[in-house]
Amino acid sequence: MNKQTKVWLVLSIALSLLALGSACTKSGTNTPAPETSSTAGAGPYSGPTGTISGVVAFNGTPPAPKKIDTTADPECGRKNPNLSTDDTIVKDGKLANVFIYVKEGSVEGGKKIGDYTWAAPSSEVQLDQNGCHYAPHVLGVLVNQKLKITNSDNTTHNIHPTPKLNAEWNQSQTAGAPPIEKAFTRAEVLIPVKCNQHPWMKAYIGVMKSPLFSVSGTDGAYEIKGVPPGTYTVVAWREGGAAGTEKTMQVTVPANGSAKADFAFGEGAATSLVKPSLQMMPAIEFPVLHNH
Amino acid sequence: MSKGLNRFAILVACATFFLIIAGALVTSNDAGLATSDWPLSNGQVFPKMVGNLFWEHGHRMVATTVGMLTIVLTIYILSKEKRQWVRRLGIFALLAVIAQGLLGGLTVKLMLPLAVSSAHATLAQLFFCTTVSLAVFTSRSWIEARPLPEEKGNLPLRYLCAAALVTIFLQLILGATLRHSATWDKPLPTELILAHVGGAFAVTFTLGGAAVSVLRRHKGESFLTRPAMIALGLLVVQLFLGLAAYLTRAASPKDPQPLNPMISITVAHVACGALVFATTIVLTLRTFRVLPASATDARMSHGLTPIKTDSY
Repeated sequence: MNKQTKVWLVLSIALSLLALGSACTKSGTNTPAPETSSTAGAGPYSGPTGTISGVVAFNGTPPAPKKIDTTADPECGRKNPNLSTDDTIVKDGKLANVFIYVKEGSVEGGKKIGDYTWAAPSSEVQLDQNGCHYAPHVLGVLVNQKLKITNSDNTTHNIHPTPKLNAEWNQSQTAGAPPIEKAFTRAEVLIPVKCNQHPWMKAYIGVMKSPLFSVSGTDGAYEIKGVPPGTYTVVAWREGGAAGTEKTMQVTVPANGSAKADFAFGEGAATSLVKPSLQMMPAIEFPVLHNH
Repeated sequence: MSKGLNRFAILVACATFFLIIAGALVTSNDAGLATSDWPLSNGQVFPKMVGNLFWEHGHRMVATTVGMLTIVLTIYILSKEKRQWVRRLGIFALLAVIAQGLLGGLTVKLMLPLAVSSAHATLAQLFFCTTVSLAVFTSRSWIEARPLPEEKGNLPLRYLCAAALVTIFLQLILGATLRHSATWDKPLPTELILAHVGGAFAVTFTLGGAAVSVLRRHKGESFLTRPAMIALGLLVVQLFLGLAAYLTRAASPKDPQPLNPMISITVAHVACGALVFATTIVLTLRTFRVLPASATDARMSHGLTPIKTDSY
């Protein structure tokens, strides 16, 4: 073997080893350990509860839905001829698909809300693929609660959550295939879900330790029931940008009473105060960088 | 020399280039995980090619074809080729295409981790480099090439060209990492963009310098000047494609799905990058073939005569 051949072979082998070696450094698919209850926890909450409710508004002109090109999968266009983006659903100035949840706070008596535990209900939450969109677009489940994924379309979908804290998975679901049942073992707000078959299809799942969450409807209204009396930080999250946008509000919930917390997104929302019925702070808008 | 072998090696190199385009289309359409299966797609050999499965399964079909062609090429080389190092390179090509197929499977099974996806894209270029080299080594022009009498210049051209080749390869790794670091709906990491832009300057400097030196020192030697001219032309096209790819890709997160012109321009940028790499491989190998390492070595150049030995 002459010199130039040796140089060539050594270079080729070294570079292929480099490429293969870098392939071995896998990250991101470690299965996380299930969430464990704190031994110092207060256990399940029992006592009087209240309600947090409100309306999510959208200030200004909402972005027009964008038409989706379905030529790659005509079945989507057949079932839903006017298929368009579903990231901003605004009706009469009210914004749907905002995830509102109690983030932290103190229950009357001084205990932290995070110290209480809630068991996952036996009921399941359904995520359907219908008309080449996920329905609902935003939803919440409790840790370890069963998520039932169905396919109502006559085409193959591909469900691919991309969590940071939970295990990532990717599963195809052909037309007529039985439902897929999954559960998330760690709290995470919020997990983006995509369909790699149809790149426009997106959903967001909030995995919560407590049932103190809600999603705004098409009228912008939401309601969180069963809230122990106390003062809490309530967060409203909506998709958009790289990681979504959050607004926070301090809310005091009386025993057997209700608190109102209205949120607003859109133009000038950061400075437009939503008048609270109880103690509230002005909403602050900031991008979420850590989750998505 | 077997004319048939050379033509078949060219066919495999062309098929590999087409495979690189098919792979780039998978990335630009965000179709890499359109099915969670591998090697089958949704449990089928021939699934319904709709949605992004068209790109992912299409890529697998082209890859399978290239794999088969490579097997035939290796057998062809082992039966016709007497030069041991060419035979070994043929075996290396076969091993590389097998490794590439397995890496492709890993990308699906591990859900596109950056390291595996980048390694898959990098090994693709390395395999392309191997098939182009085989096409060069089995060509008549390679076998019948006569050594040029002297190296006119301070820096030996073979080293200038080799430096350009290594720089291009590193730039291809950077580009592959950049492309796989974020899907179409998310912005690309700024530090990787800057590194890739810096790589573009480095490639322009090294390849431009090498090609211009070839053109100045060996005017009239089409064996060297032709790939140098083509490499320079492709480099200019590639720089413009890179700028266009950046602009369209920066705007794509606002789109509801991956759309043209982002898809076509980013794929063209990948394809043109592969062509720049291939042309530089040809240029570099030819400089090693006909030019001595230095002026003093001019009369001592080895293995350059077209006699039937194991070394040319």
